[in-house]
Amino acid sequence: MAIDLLNVRFHYPQQPNHEVLNIPLWTLPVGEQVFIHGPSGGGKSTLLSVLSGLLIPDEGQVSIFGQRLDQMPNRRRNQFRANHIGYVFQQFNLIPYLNALDNIQLASRFAQRKKAPVLLGDIKKLLTDLNISASDWHKPARALSIGQQQRVAIARALINKPELLIADEPTSSLDPFNKEAFMALLMSMVSENGISLVFVSHDLSLSHYFNRVESLNVINRCGDSP
Amino acid sequence: MFAKLALQSLLDRKGSVVLSLMAMTVSIFVLLGVEHIRHQTKENFSNTVSGVDLVVGARTGSLNLLLYSIFRIGAPTNNISWETYEAIASNAKVKWAVPLSLGDSHKGFRVLGTTGDYFDYFSYANQQHLNFAKGQAFHQVFDVVLGAQVAKKLGYQLGDKLALAHGIAATSFSLHDDRPFTVVGILAPTGTPVDQTLHVSLQGLEAIHIDWQQGVKMPGSTITQAELEKAKLQPKSVTALILGLESKMTTFRVQRAINQYKQEPLLAILPGVALSELWQMMGVIENTLLLVSALVFIAACLGVSAMLLSSIRERQHEIQLLRVIGAPAYFLFFLIELEALFIALLSCVLGAGLLSVCLVFLQNYLLGHFGLHIGSNFLTGNNLSLMLAVICASVLVAIIPALSGYRQARIVKR
Repeated sequence: MAIDLLNVRFHYPQQPNHEVLNIPLWTLPVGEQVFIHGPSGGGKSTLLSVLSGLLIPDEGQVSIFGQRLDQMPNRRRNQFRANHIGYVFQQFNLIPYLNALDNIQLASRFAQRKKAPVLLGDIKKLLTDLNISASDWHKPARALSIGQQQRVAIARALINKPELLIADEPTSSLDPFNKEAFMALLMSMVSENGISLVFVSHDLSLSHYFNRVESLNVINRCGDSP
Repeated sequence: MFAKLALQSLLDRKGSVVLSLMAMTVSIFVLLGVEHIRHQTKENFSNTVSGVDLVVGARTGSLNLLLYSIFRIGAPTNNISWETYEAIASNAKVKWAVPLSLGDSHKGFRVLGTTGDYFDYFSYANQQHLNFAKGQAFHQVFDVVLGAQVAKKLGYQLGDKLALAHGIAATSFSLHDDRPFTVVGILAPTGTPVDQTLHVSLQGLEAIHIDWQQGVKMPGSTITQAELEKAKLQPKSVTALILGLESKMTTFRVQRAINQYKQEPLLAILPGVALSELWQMMGVIENTLLLVSALVFIAACLGVSAMLLSSIRERQHEIQLLRVIGAPAYFLFFLIELEALFIALLSCVLGAGLLSVCLVFLQNYLLGHFGLHIGSNFLTGNNLSLMLAVICASVLVAIIPALSGYRQARIVKR
C-alpha cells in the first residue's frame, strides 16, 4: 500500500474539543491516483499535513509505503518527506526570489541525492518536458506566470523521484485553459513514473481524470460536523 | 546552495536590508575608528619622550610639569634658577642635563630655548634621536631650528628670517621684531610635540628680552648690535631641566635629592610614570567613547534583528514551503543566522573600508592640527579581534529572530 491510515484521530492543541480528523480506515494502493473532493474546512489541509508527516495524529497509524510516519523521529521524517513525497500547493509553491532551476535544486538538496551535474541535466529535462522554455529557467519565480509557476512546481515536486505526490488544489488559481493543460501534464507525468497521487480539490469537473473519486466527508467522520 | 538561498533572500528585501546594513556599517566604522585612534593616541603619547630619566621643574603637580615641559601645553608656574641648574648638572650621578626655557611663541607655535645638547640627548619613541631634515643645530645667538610641522605649515626654508612673539598666544601684540632669527635647521618629522616647536639657544632668548622689563618692551631703549655682543647673555633662570643619569638604578635617589633640594622648591618626575598618570586621566574619556560606540553597535545589532524578525512574518509561505520540501525546522534557525552573519560580514568589510578611506584623508589634518600621527593600518590584532567580537555579537543577537523562524517552521498551517 502507498498509504495506510488506521484509526487516525487529530485535533489542534489550541482547540482540544474540536476534533478535525477521525479516519477509521483508508488506503491507497501503490501507483493509484485518487481524487478527493470536499468543502473547505473539512480537514483537507490537515489530512494532507498528516500524510506528509508535518503533523502527527493524536492516535492511530500512518503508514506510507509501509513506513510508520507516526513512529519516526523528527529527523527521519524530514528526510523521508524529502525523499519519498512530492507536494504541490494551490499557490506559493516556489521561493519567489529564486529562479526555476534553483527552486528545483533546493528541493533536491534536502533529499539524499548528491550528484549535482547529473541533477542539473535531470532538472532541465523535466522543465523541458513540462513546457517551460529555457529562457524562463533563470527568471526569478515571481516573474513567471501562474501557469508556469504551477508547472515548475510539478518539476520541483518530482525531482526527487517521489513515490507519492500530494496535490492540494493545484489548479484553483489557474484559468480553464491552463487548468486542462496542467492536469494533462500532471496525469501523464504521474502515470509515466508510476507515482501514487492524492489530489484534493473542490472542483468536481476535474474528477474525470481519475478512476477513483472520493468524498472527504466519507473518509473523515468528523467532516460532517465541523 | 544554502548560502545562495540566504543571499538571494537578503537581496529580495533590498530596502530594509540596505538600511540595516548601513546602520551596522556606521556603527562598526565608529567602533573601529575609536579603538584605532585610542590606540594610536596612546602610542603617540608614550612615544613623546624616551631616554629622559627625570624632568625637573619648579614645584607643581607632576602632570602640570610634564604637560608644559614635554607636551608644551599650558603655562609654566615658575622658573628655576641657573645656579640650581648648575648644581644639578654637576651632580656625579647625572650624565647630562639639558635646560629648557619656554614662554615665547611664533604664530602659535611654542619657542623652546635650550642648548645644543638638546639635539644630542633628547629622544622619542624607541630611543630615536632627533634628525635634521635640512641644515644643522643653532650656533649663533639668532639661529633657530624649526620642527617639521612648523616649517611645513609656515613654509619656511633655510635662511628665512622670522620674529618671535612674547607670550604664548597665537596672535601676540608684542613682537620681538627688532631682532629677527635666521632658520639654520629643520628637523625631520617625529610625530611628537617637537614637530611644533621652534628651537633657539638660551642666549637668543636672553638677547631678545634684554631691554624688556615686566614683560613689556621699554620704549626708547635701543641697544645696538655691538652693545648686544658685549652684554653677558647669561640666563638667570630656566623653565625646566631634562636629565639623563649615569645609571637607572640611581633614579629614585636622584629624584629624592632634587625634591628635597634646600635652596629652591623643586620637583623631579619620571616621565614614564607621569605619562601613565596622564593616560589614566584620559582613560575615563577613552572608555566613555568606547562605551558609546559599543552602544551604537548594539543598537545596530538590534536593528538588524528587528529587520529579520519582521521579515519572518512576510516569509511564512516560504518557511512552510521549505518544510514541505524536507527542510528540518532547525534549518530555518540557521538560515536566519546565516543572513545575520552575511550582514555582519559585509558591514565589517564596508566599515573597515570606510575607515581606511577616512584615515587616508584625515591623516594630514590630524598631524597638522593636533600633532597626532595616526597610522592608516588599523588591521592590527586588536582590531581584528574586535571585528571578530562584532561578528559574534551580531550572531548572538540574531538568535532572537532565528528562534522565531524556528518556531514558525514548527507551526503547521491549517
